Amino acid sequence: MAMSTKEKLIGHVMKEEPVGSRNKVTVVGVGMVGMASAVSILLKDLCDELALVDVMEDKLKGEVMDLQHGSLFLKTHKIVADKDYSVTANSRVVVVTAGARQQEGESRLNLVQRNVNIFKFIIPNIVKYSPHCILMVVSNPVDILTYVAWKLSGFPRHRVIGSGTNLDSARFRHLMGEKLHLHPSSCHGWIVGEHGDSSVPVWSGVNVAGVSLQSLNPKMGAEGDSENWKEVHKLVVDGAYEVIKLKGYTSWAIGMSVADLVESITKNLHKVHPVSTLVKGMHGVKDEVFLSVPCVLGNSGLTDVIHMTLKPDEEKQLVKSAETLWGVQKELTL
Amino acid sequence: MLITWWYLYLAARSIAEKSLKMASILQKLITPLFSGPPEPPRNKVTVVGVGQVGMACAVSILLRELVDELALVDVMEDKLKGEMMDLQHGSLFLKTPKIVADKDYSVTANSRIVVVTAGVRQQEGESRLNLVQRNVNIFKHIVPQIVRYSPDCIIIVVSNPVDVLTYVTWKLSGLPKHRVIGSGTNLDSARFRFLMADKLGIHASSFNGWILGEHGDTSVPVWSGTNVAGVNLQTLNPDIGTDCDDENWKETHKMVVDSAYEVIKLKGYTNWAIGLSVADLTESLIRNMNRIHPVSTMVQGMYGISDQVYLSLPCVLNSRGVSSVVNMTLTDDEVAQLQASANTLWDIQKDLQDI
Repeated sequence: MAMSTKEKLIGHVMKEEPVGSRNKVTVVGVGMVGMASAVSILLKDLCDELALVDVMEDKLKGEVMDLQHGSLFLKTHKIVADKDYSVTANSRVVVVTAGARQQEGESRLNLVQRNVNIFKFIIPNIVKYSPHCILMVVSNPVDILTYVAWKLSGFPRHRVIGSGTNLDSARFRHLMGEKLHLHPSSCHGWIVGEHGDSSVPVWSGVNVAGVSLQSLNPKMGAEGDSENWKEVHKLVVDGAYEVIKLKGYTSWAIGMSVADLVESITKNLHKVHPVSTLVKGMHGVKDEVFLSVPCVLGNSGLTDVIHMTLKPDEEKQLVKSAETLWGVQKELTL
Repeated sequence: MLITWWYLYLAARSIAEKSLKMASILQKLITPLFSGPPEPPRNKVTVVGVGQVGMACAVSILLRELVDELALVDVMEDKLKGEMMDLQHGSLFLKTPKIVADKDYSVTANSRIVVVTAGVRQQEGESRLNLVQRNVNIFKHIVPQIVRYSPDCIIIVVSNPVDVLTYVTWKLSGLPKHRVIGSGTNLDSARFRFLMADKLGIHASSFNGWILGEHGDTSVPVWSGTNVAGVNLQTLNPDIGTDCDDENWKETHKMVVDSAYEVIKLKGYTNWAIGLSVADLTESLIRNMNRIHPVSTMVQGMYGISDQVYLSLPCVLNSRGVSSVVNMTLTDDEVAQLQASANTLWDIQKDLQDI
């Protein structure tokens, strides 16, 4: 019997079933944010299998083919995609970027009900095929949708994470770096709370090499600050709207920040990131809401939370955000 | 009158005090040890064109940590600024401390490599050769400006039809031919290696195979060179790549040729694979690696080609550009295909206006 070229070349010697992927990541939604996240994850060699899901079948197929054609340059051997969620089975991390995006000038809170309905389809499907995965929610308004994903999935809270203010903090550190002529990784500053217009910059924590900038400039972040650091926070809040106005959407920065979070999870780094988690009982928050605080991320998920020392008015802002979010959440039909 | 001067004096003094106070806040934190003009970049890359391909190249180059400065240029000012800001917002996660963008080419000064992705893209069903004159006119504006600000750079042309436009760039730039490279069949070969390796159940990098010649419908798969671990596939299957091959391996090359059209039909354009392949070329150039890539280079005098055309051959890339070309052992049929491509390309090139 004539052997095929493959049979002549390669002899299969393993008698067992192949082991399958150990570090599979799924990205739900192949829009600009989903694809930027996918490419950042691939270029950082974070997974041995990447799955993409979306409802737009042609776009989905085109995107997966385009990524596969780059396989020579990547270290992710299996890149798959389907409308059907069975393709996502056994994922370690599922990144949810699906949903409607902010229009120019539209606030994140406006998107809510549109995206809740989409999540009612997506989340149960994810859970069905990857019951032990870690869910990372990126779609906006992220704090509310992380709550929604938590409720719809039935997962324990440590396995449902919102990308939160990881990006806001990255933007802040970039701007801080520009002001001080330093690399952002040497500029430390945490923005917590709501990912959006009412995020809270924790001025007391802003430091370089452990030197608190507020101790050098006590007016930092307040009115009458001659260096106008408050403007830096305003630029962070406005940053997304600005980019949307100029290019129609944001993608690269959020994609890289998602890959940063996925890295901490898949490599079990125990790194601290400002991400959105259940904050009921912290900082005076009484409602079941998700807000960003510094959290420890590892391969179990979000295992610990850092207790920040916040000023009374910073805590007040968190409580106020929580109330706003709860006001929206209680009207949702889940 | 005197009072006006007095108030002016007070205002000036207050401004001076404020700036002294600001300076002292930063001075409290940081003591400079060296002052002087900032160092020029050592590994700067410019990407011309911030469409889907340009941005995919930019992001791949950034995430591969190849450069200390990235410049973006385009004519669409808002889009350009938005893309630059979006990348800058990710600088915490990157190791490229300076990302700049401007419509004015002065922002590109001192680039080691300039990647040209500008131009109009193929519409669904449109062949690459159709785009030619449209893109030549754009290049007449772009190329002289690139050379003006980075006279020592290496230009990588990506815009289609890449072989013709690399020739055009070479002519317009006045640069020596080893410093003008077309992305060529680097992508076709990558697609080929993926598709072949997928059929064999191995990683693309473990499958060796070269597609040469024109980046497009008449690219040439060199079946005689295909191998895995040095085991030559044509020796295992002498019919490989021919019409009488009952395993129909020829279909794989057809899939490579069709794949761009396929992806365009599905998502409107291609970008990720070409972006990754450009970053791969950039790495060999910036890191002076002497790696061999199938890229588009001036082939006049080789394989019986007498015209000044650019076609893809295996080229050794290092920090000077294309330092040498590998002499392939091609069959007569493969040589004939290269010559036919050369004739087609020259046919188009000879009619181009003002280069």
